[in-house]
Amino acid sequence: MIETIIIDGLAFTLPMFIMAIGGIFSEKSGITNLALEGMQGFGAFFGALAAVLLMQNMDAASQIPYYVSFAAAMIGGILFSFVHIALCIKFKANQVISGVVVNILAAALTSFLTKRLNESLFSQPSNKFVLGTSARFSVPVLFDIPVVGAIFTNIYPFEIMIIIIAVIMWYVMYRTPFGMHLRACGDNPHAADAAGINVNRVRTIAIMISGGLSAIAGMSFAYSISANFSPDIYLGYGYLSIAAFIFGNWSILPTLGACLIFGFARSGGQALIQQLGMPSAFNDLVRILPYVLTLFLLIFFSRHNNAPRALGEIYDKGKR
Amino acid sequence: MDNSGYMIEMRHITKRFPGLIANDDISLGIKKGEIFALLGENGAGKSTLMSVLFGMYEPDKGEIYIRGEKVKITSPRHATQLGIGMVHQHFCLVSNYTVAENIILGSEPKKRLLGIIPKVDIKKANADIAALSEKYGLKVDPTSVISDLNVSTQQRVEILKMLYRDAEILIFDEPTAVLTPQEIEYLLDIIRGLRDVGKTVIIITHKLEEIKLVADRCAVLNRGKLVDILDVASTSTSEMARLMVGHEVSFSSDKTEANPGETVLKVENLTVKGEMGHDAVKNVSFEIHSGEIFALAGVSGNGQNELADTIAGLRDCIAGKIILNGTDITNMPIRKRIEAGVAYIPEDRHNVGLVLNFPLRDNLALKRYYKADFSKHIVMDKKALSDNGNRLITEYDIRSSHGNSTITAAMSGGNQQKAIIARELDLKTPLIIFMQPTRGLDIGAISNIHKQIIAERDRGAAVLLISLELDEIMDCADTIGVIFDGQINRIAKASELTVNEVGRFMMGVTDGGESA
Repeated sequence: MIETIIIDGLAFTLPMFIMAIGGIFSEKSGITNLALEGMQGFGAFFGALAAVLLMQNMDAASQIPYYVSFAAAMIGGILFSFVHIALCIKFKANQVISGVVVNILAAALTSFLTKRLNESLFSQPSNKFVLGTSARFSVPVLFDIPVVGAIFTNIYPFEIMIIIIAVIMWYVMYRTPFGMHLRACGDNPHAADAAGINVNRVRTIAIMISGGLSAIAGMSFAYSISANFSPDIYLGYGYLSIAAFIFGNWSILPTLGACLIFGFARSGGQALIQQLGMPSAFNDLVRILPYVLTLFLLIFFSRHNNAPRALGEIYDKGKR
Repeated sequence: MDNSGYMIEMRHITKRFPGLIANDDISLGIKKGEIFALLGENGAGKSTLMSVLFGMYEPDKGEIYIRGEKVKITSPRHATQLGIGMVHQHFCLVSNYTVAENIILGSEPKKRLLGIIPKVDIKKANADIAALSEKYGLKVDPTSVISDLNVSTQQRVEILKMLYRDAEILIFDEPTAVLTPQEIEYLLDIIRGLRDVGKTVIIITHKLEEIKLVADRCAVLNRGKLVDILDVASTSTSEMARLMVGHEVSFSSDKTEANPGETVLKVENLTVKGEMGHDAVKNVSFEIHSGEIFALAGVSGNGQNELADTIAGLRDCIAGKIILNGTDITNMPIRKRIEAGVAYIPEDRHNVGLVLNFPLRDNLALKRYYKADFSKHIVMDKKALSDNGNRLITEYDIRSSHGNSTITAAMSGGNQQKAIIARELDLKTPLIIFMQPTRGLDIGAISNIHKQIIAERDRGAAVLLISLELDEIMDCADTIGVIFDGQINRIAKASELTVNEVGRFMMGVTDGGESA
């Protein structure tokens, strides 16, 4: 049973983690980002569309649609992030409202487009793109180790991809000049500006990164938990990853810890219900576990939080 | 090409803002390797002129020559490329970055891992900055985080930031406003050192003593116009003051003998915890009578803030009593305290004294808005607020661009302070606490406030004046208390103490003090 908890837990944790990293990039640059939910959904829509189009003309066993879909999802997520960029940076709108707008827009737009495209492309009145779950693999030798071996068992390829990208993003954030500029923009954009950094450009790139990374998460969910793309992708995982990076104090490594807690709370709860032989209706109850946990963590950890100082502030060059 | 030999030459600079001319046809030249002071009252146009030089504002008219070449400075970035650096009054630092990270920000030393992957070379940065701080005698640890440093160290970081970028022209905007006397001395030494290695230094200030101490030449500005350029060594401070204000200034306030009456405020064995959890105020007792100015002297951070906040009700005490006119107000909520008769002019104008985004009239009614004269049932009476605002604006000569509806944040510091003082004095309370009432204000405004403090005393109020400026204490006080490390170690009539004695007690020296 522990093995199942670990396997399912990681499959859920990692997409959430990469989405949270996207959120950290945006917020560390000073832009409040509630739009993760919408960006992961829109990204997944884009990727799923690419996948179903390719699958039509390809061998069923081919892995190409799978990988292409992730690339397409990232493009979709980045494109959609421009809504948030336009509202927050170009039009200097309130960033919270902009985030909510992006989320609502994504949900409405993708479910409309999914239905229309299904009708016109495949003449099927359906609101989903059926993808199936991704193939999984186990690492030879390592998966034989008791308990810990579960980490190397039944891995989705996207998990490996996420880990590689996460390491790269960590490096970008904490070791490169760009990362240094980005974090400065979120603490004191005036200081960054005075140092010759183009604050709006850095923030634009940061939001694009959050769009791209969220899309990877959305695509991962579509290929694992739901096995298709449908409006069900908007289950609130985007909000959960926001909670995760807030508990992680806007730092990448502690955020991984928070994501692991959420992931294992979810898979642990599901395993428990199976173990106790409870009716599957209780599965829905388990889904709220991470959120209940969020409530409690909020109570205990909120006061230790250090949000980026300029978070949510509209940057106006002339104002001092 | 220009052969005047000036490092910087500004010709006929004019800068207008809606409703005022900040700089009116100003021409001046600054030589390489001199310390040049810009003297003027608040709003005289000193900062605007330097903002023009630093590329933050574009002048409406006029030309700038740097090293003899005509330039059009379009942005601070451009100014930096021209070798101009500026330390602003409000520092521009990333609070969660280290000293080194702040200094290199925007021009980081880079390494390439495996020849391609960019990496900030923080080791090199730390070493470079340690060397730089050694070279100019600016003590800082490159690896400490900005938010852990005091203002004086943060200022040194700002200076290093300019030096790291090879600035040759260094502009300081009111550099001493936030420093203690010892820190000021240290800074002035640094500035002299910078001149001696050939940097050109410009200081914006309204403190005459500092100009006298460091500057070589000094331009006096008044209401946007250049009054004169003086050779500092051959000009007296009173002459500078006269030019700056535009009329004769008397340095000592005319004050009649105090005529103390009943005890108004009695503080008994008060102990207050500070931010860090230590006892900031320790077992303090004193009394203030009606018609008396009790001035509390002390070096910054010795418990003054905590003491004033506790009497005003912003902070709780852990032991002791505060008695106002015979009533124990120790645990009284703030509104009741105000009604019982405590007026408070706080040190932090922006965060404690005012709601910056409110129009002036609302700020002027901040302590009375809920009363029947301003509210009809649950609705505020805008006309009553306006009338009250206009009355105080006239009475206290508060200047603002749009009368009582000016957003307070848009007003100058001096006028913001006038607004707070107007609001508090208008309460006509038996006790008034002035905490650093003249901080950052110019001579004219300071002498006005001193007159008001004395007028309140003559009305019969008990005045608690807390100040870091020893001159202010000596000028206004009837009774002087000296606070050191949370304890009042001397209380005496002002006439019985000399400046030097007060200064000694401020440093915690108690022996030999009894001779007074």
